Amino acid sequence: MNKIWIITRRELSSFFDSLIAYVLIVIFLGLSGFFTWLFGNNVFVIGQASLQVFFQIGFWTLFFFIPALTMKMLAEETKSGTIELLSTKAVTDWQIVTGKFLACLLLVMIALVATLPYYVTVSRLGSVDHGAIIGGYLGLVFLSAGYISIGIFASSITNNQIVAFLIALLIGIFFQLLFDMLGFQFRGGLGSVFNYLSMRTHFDSLSRGVIDSRDLVYFASVILGGLTVSQAMLSKRNWYS
Amino acid sequence: MQKKSNVIIRLVVFALILFVVNMIASKLYFRLDFTEDQRYTLSKASKDILNDLDDVVTVKAYFSEDLPAQLLSNRQDFEDLLVEYENRSGGNVVYEFISPNEDEELEQEAQQSGIQPVIINVTEKDQVQQLKAYMGAVLMMGDQKEVISVVQPGVNMEYGLTTSIKKLSVTDKPKVGLLQGHGEPSLQEIAQLQQQLSILYEVETIDLSTQTEVPTYLRSLAIINPSDTISDMDFAKIDAFMAQGGNVFVAYSNLKGDLQNGYLSKGPNIGLEDWLATKKVNMGDRFVVDANSGSVTVQQNNGVFNIRSQIKFPYFPMLSDFPEHPTTQGLEGMMLPFVSALNYTGTDSATTFQPLIMTSDMSGLAQTPTMVNIDKKWNENDFRDGPQTLAMAVEGPLAGNQNAKLIVVSNGQFAINGNPPQQISPDNVNFVSNAIDWLSDDTGLIDLRTKGVTSRPLEKLEDGERETLKYANVVVPILLVLIYAFVRKQRYARKKQKWMQGNYN
Repeated sequence: MNKIWIITRRELSSFFDSLIAYVLIVIFLGLSGFFTWLFGNNVFVIGQASLQVFFQIGFWTLFFFIPALTMKMLAEETKSGTIELLSTKAVTDWQIVTGKFLACLLLVMIALVATLPYYVTVSRLGSVDHGAIIGGYLGLVFLSAGYISIGIFASSITNNQIVAFLIALLIGIFFQLLFDMLGFQFRGGLGSVFNYLSMRTHFDSLSRGVIDSRDLVYFASVILGGLTVSQAMLSKRNWYS
Repeated sequence: MQKKSNVIIRLVVFALILFVVNMIASKLYFRLDFTEDQRYTLSKASKDILNDLDDVVTVKAYFSEDLPAQLLSNRQDFEDLLVEYENRSGGNVVYEFISPNEDEELEQEAQQSGIQPVIINVTEKDQVQQLKAYMGAVLMMGDQKEVISVVQPGVNMEYGLTTSIKKLSVTDKPKVGLLQGHGEPSLQEIAQLQQQLSILYEVETIDLSTQTEVPTYLRSLAIINPSDTISDMDFAKIDAFMAQGGNVFVAYSNLKGDLQNGYLSKGPNIGLEDWLATKKVNMGDRFVVDANSGSVTVQQNNGVFNIRSQIKFPYFPMLSDFPEHPTTQGLEGMMLPFVSALNYTGTDSATTFQPLIMTSDMSGLAQTPTMVNIDKKWNENDFRDGPQTLAMAVEGPLAGNQNAKLIVVSNGQFAINGNPPQQISPDNVNFVSNAIDWLSDDTGLIDLRTKGVTSRPLEKLEDGERETLKYANVVVPILLVLIYAFVRKQRYARKKQKWMQGNYN
């Protein structure tokens, strides 16, 4: 655990030492703020003391934000050869993958914490359903964790960052949009399977303020699945047939 | 070093485990409901009704099998709910699912039971097809039957199911009287209210000219929008009813707003106002105007074009803030046009009163009679009289020694569908049903009725303040991040300088 934590801290501080973290967080906050408060069906137009608007925006902004965050995680290390350096330091591939995953998740959580002024404003202007807000934030965190593990996987199969970004986005589109649409198209068992695979189904259920074990199992599966295949891909250099 | 095929086998096994875990988890699950009003948890009313069941209720759920996945979740939710009902009722609720699309006989059975198919569009083999979807249920207890023609998704599902069970299980429904004979609406003209009340009560019309007294078996008597004189004899009968503990609901406007001719005046004296005064409830003779109001559509001729525009009309107060009381639980908003203010003048300590509906702080009283001036520019001076009471509850020995309850609303129209019927806002009906429940000491369904419809309106803000808040919320989070970046950079620069001086501590 200690080694994972060391990797997490190292990754996190390298985010903050470079411009990437700031640029991404500022874009995330800018988009979220713009759509939640200024544009279209914003909080004041709807006139309800709820953050549903923000959660729906976050559902999309995080979807684009995360591949950009994860694209360099393993791709760059493989390209520059630093991965060899890292793996000689008596850390397992699993520890590397988990450490990097946690670093990204913490960064997303920091970005989400920065939106707490939204919550303060809304709760001062009306009676807020705190349960629904906690559920909404929890939903965003689980959703992010799912996409981060997909992003890390994408980053593990190529040493080109742009390719990693595009692959992550492509896989993400299935979970974000296509499974949902397919779930509506197909009927019977196949339809239910697609519907179950869709992130939206589980995210919506959480963001109502209801914590359902089925949603937790789903997100845990996506996260574990992503990390496991990332680890396998990372260990590829040690394979023999 | 590891063998490639071993890695692949390991991944496949892992995928299988995930698959199995997800399969099991979708059958075995738990739910924690963090919503404030426990929207997704069975309400107390449902539990009570299920506990009291002393006979078996059979639920036949007619759901098409091959529904699109989104609608399938509706079926899943309904099944989850039924499982919970089955457990709660100690096996007194049993259910079965039937797929009516399978054969024609079942389909006919469903339609004959009163279940309406919903037509939905699905794409199949590149063609849009119309699918007849059944999503209804028939509930049976003994030889009685209740039909839910379309099972509504969401919180309405519980309300639909519980009320249907309640309708079946209450064999001897308490009776509620609806006064007739003085121009009041008939049962057909209050269809929405009648339908909702019929879950718990049997609504009976009472014509006092043919009866020597108000039947004492009535839980409560409703006097809704009378327009003709009520005789002293009739009032004496109502008083006698109250003297024995009978409860009365009155919805009546003593003012008349005639929008057609633009004339606002006091209505004819039908005696009800004087009778209410004997209960220490006084109806004002001025119109309540509220800055927070509904609007009217006005047609303006602009030379060439006819322009229809919406103009705020303070004679239509919009009510959204309700005092705490069982009758107002969960209400979102109501609009009561052309109302007078109610005043309670009693000083007797045995009698208590409570306002139920009040206008906003920015309210005023307008003189009668007057002509409507739609172009009038309203300003703050018109709204200086503070919140006005539009409905109140009085409780105490109102006509004798026995305790009685009385609810008065200074508008008679708001619960009437009229003839031809017009749909009225559900909250208008909810308020009257809640009031009747409270008067009849049966508040069980109040919680359930308004469950999950809670509106959480934002406070009204001045334009400037709103703009400030908007931009502050966009800018402040970004500013926080930038400040952090700056501080971190400074810290790093200081450290770097120390290093350059050879200080590595």
